[in-house]
Amino acid sequence: MSARVVYLDYAATTPVAPQVAARMAECLTREGTFGNPGSASHAYGEAASASVEAARAQVAAAVGARADDVVFTSGATEANNLAIFGTAQYYRDLGRHIVTARTEHKSVLDPCKELERRGWSVTYLAPDADGTLDPARVAAAVRPDTVLVSVMHVNNETGVIQDVGAIAERCARAGHARIHVDAAQSVGKCDVDFAALGVDLMSLSAHKAYGPKGAGALLVSRQRGAHLTPILHGGGQEGSLRSGTVATHQAVGMGAAFELASAMPGVERERIAALGERLWRRLREMGGVLRNGERAARVPHLLNVSFEGVEGESLLAAVQPHLAVSTGSACTSATQEPSYVLRALGRDDRLAESSLRFSLGRFTSEADIDTAGTVVIRAVERLRQIAGT
Amino acid sequence: MNYNELTRRHFEHPLRLGTLAGADCYRGAAGSRSGGTWVQFDVRVARTGGAPRVLEVRFLAFGCPHVIAAAALVAEEGEGGAPEPRLPQSIHSLRERLDAPVEKLGRLFVVEDAWIAALRCAAGPAHTHITQSSC
Repeated sequence: MSARVVYLDYAATTPVAPQVAARMAECLTREGTFGNPGSASHAYGEAASASVEAARAQVAAAVGARADDVVFTSGATEANNLAIFGTAQYYRDLGRHIVTARTEHKSVLDPCKELERRGWSVTYLAPDADGTLDPARVAAAVRPDTVLVSVMHVNNETGVIQDVGAIAERCARAGHARIHVDAAQSVGKCDVDFAALGVDLMSLSAHKAYGPKGAGALLVSRQRGAHLTPILHGGGQEGSLRSGTVATHQAVGMGAAFELASAMPGVERERIAALGERLWRRLREMGGVLRNGERAARVPHLLNVSFEGVEGESLLAAVQPHLAVSTGSACTSATQEPSYVLRALGRDDRLAESSLRFSLGRFTSEADIDTAGTVVIRAVERLRQIAGT
Repeated sequence: MNYNELTRRHFEHPLRLGTLAGADCYRGAAGSRSGGTWVQFDVRVARTGGAPRVLEVRFLAFGCPHVIAAAALVAEEGEGGAPEPRLPQSIHSLRERLDAPVEKLGRLFVVEDAWIAALRCAAGPAHTHITQSSC
């Protein structure tokens, strides 16, 4: 990959931190903890098991959970699937209704759609124009047969933070639904306190926080008595909720990454926030730009901007040689679909398509931001000239 | 999406960008910005000294890189030809040269429609010259 391409797609994934990679490598070779953590009959298994349990404790400590709440998965997508299918199946005799939002990740929406095909009903709430869900409106959607409310903490496209604590509190008064939070984008970006939020389930991802891809967890609150029906069978690992040999190196990598994330100094968060604002100020000067989710609370590392008067694919094509950013549209083989998240916020197709998501991270420098500003402004002004807008 | 060299070149450095004005200039446009693709051609037609011919072309385009590149190519290759309401080459051939996915054919037809509109304007019995509004 060319070093000249500025990486501003940390919300898509992050590079594994060197110290995390080193810890993971220790678990892979003969000299390390390569044993099967489920093999309790010998020292190799015990050593691997100890590494996994240490990682479990690290993950739990980073998000205000108890170690026995942590169920390791292959990532947040599997965690979301386990939360939704597992809850729906376990509580199916209490009801078959789920409440979620239109701006959720596909790994929440698609399982919900699958449950609809199987006879469940799902209410998809539209957010306000700023991207937030009014907790009162969420609670109002809860019915006597609602078994699950699933809302994301930090939106992956806009960075908008939902007040999941208030949503959980309101929903608790409205019925008996379990509350699931997709917090894949949260760790290291904003404070996460599983216990204090009063939620039952929380999905986590390692690779958004300088950990490995293919590692994640579902927090299942034992204290709140949350139960799930497993979706994988064969082995009974992870408290029978996720069968399959735990990948020691992945769990260890996630634990190390989360420990690093929770130790991130406030000054680093402030640095990233300042860089994001620097970029926004630069882009705003150009005119005809809209910051998506502007009025809501947002994580500081993510900036989503719609550019008026330019076409989305051309905008991406113009910046791509210089910047790694995400666009406000989902590419199919040949054409693009406008982002359903931005559409849900009230942006029309054109503005949703002509949006760029800039997500900053640990390795983003002031020079990167200045390059990004220059590249984007040059591209937008050129495309507006071509379009006569 | 990957773009071939011809597309990238005409997308990144489109020649004949802009508009024309004058009694010998004609304008045609097609599509809409709100629909995602819009193209406008201005053509200057010479009618003195033999058969009429397209002397100069300018274009504006709102669309994907393939649309911009196609409009730029048509503008470039349309100069010097007869002011007849048809593309210098078929839209299918243009799509192949640009290696545009077949799903984008509809967008490329907007380029063709805009070109034909400009040339029809030039060939019409009552020539509507570009002053402020288009044909």
